[in-house]
Amino acid sequence: MPFDERLHQAIEYLAFKSANADAVRACASVEKIVSEQKKFQYFRQFFPEEWNKSRSSFFKRGYYHNYSERLNEFFSLVNEKMFPLLAGWDDPETEFEYFYIFSLNIDLCCEDIEYENLRVSYAAGLLFLFRDDEIWEYFESNYQIKREDFPEINESAHDNLWHLEKTGKVEAYLNLFELVDHSTGNPWLDTVNCRDNACFDWTEDNIRFLAESYREAAALLDQTAGIDELFAENPRAVLLDLISLWNDVKLP
Amino acid sequence: MLCEAGEQINPAIVLAEELMRKDLRGTMDFADIERAENTLIAARTEIERVERQLNQIIKTQPQPGRLIPPGF
Repeated sequence: MPFDERLHQAIEYLAFKSANADAVRACASVEKIVSEQKKFQYFRQFFPEEWNKSRSSFFKRGYYHNYSERLNEFFSLVNEKMFPLLAGWDDPETEFEYFYIFSLNIDLCCEDIEYENLRVSYAAGLLFLFRDDEIWEYFESNYQIKREDFPEINESAHDNLWHLEKTGKVEAYLNLFELVDHSTGNPWLDTVNCRDNACFDWTEDNIRFLAESYREAAALLDQTAGIDELFAENPRAVLLDLISLWNDVKLP
Repeated sequence: MLCEAGEQINPAIVLAEELMRKDLRGTMDFADIERAENTLIAARTEIERVERQLNQIIKTQPQPGRLIPPGF
């Protein structure tokens, strides 16, 4: 072990040794070691090549001060290759024993929404769930389409809407409704940042679940982006599709 | 109660010392981690027991002794 690494290990040990006569503090020390060791195991399990190549220290503190350079490296790998663990957490004092994820969806609860800044498909979805005259004004000024040219949108969706088979265009439209309604079943899309934040701890199941659900969320967002292209070609037809599906569970 | 209590060092203190002296650069596998977690449970149980006993001692009313130790 290089001198630098031994030095950091010795400093770590001395800080521990000066406090270890106290059983409560000893529990905290063991808990910290166990927690670190678990993450090392996940590092080895999920990123074996990077683990073998890594030269980062096990003792020296990294950017996130509560963790060694090696664990900082693990967090970065998770962030780059699995899911955005570090997004929104710039404070070096941040702890990741339990961690929150930030939604990829729009926060309809607390965010100030500028319709011009939304994807057009999302703004169209909001017509159904976030009834605001300004959305029609936005469509009128940007796409020259008027509310009067379309059937009235029912207060609530047709009972069978959520039971439709998800295929083709219907799938994309249903996903859009669910996305705007925050009812996709995916934590990356349904979470609202100001409340009911999804909190996770480090287990293999959680890591796999978050990575998989993040991939699914990204795919769903890509799919709804496809509606933007349809909208650019023929905005009137897409809005009619959406209204018809919402009111009568069929495409015109 | 105190006289009857077993004498031992809290297992977390022993384990913490042992772990800190080891070269722990990612060498604990999940079985080791599980053992350490079980030791932590035992350590916390002991801490709670000691705290409970201490509270009971504090709550106990002073009683006159039958014998007065020499020197008092």
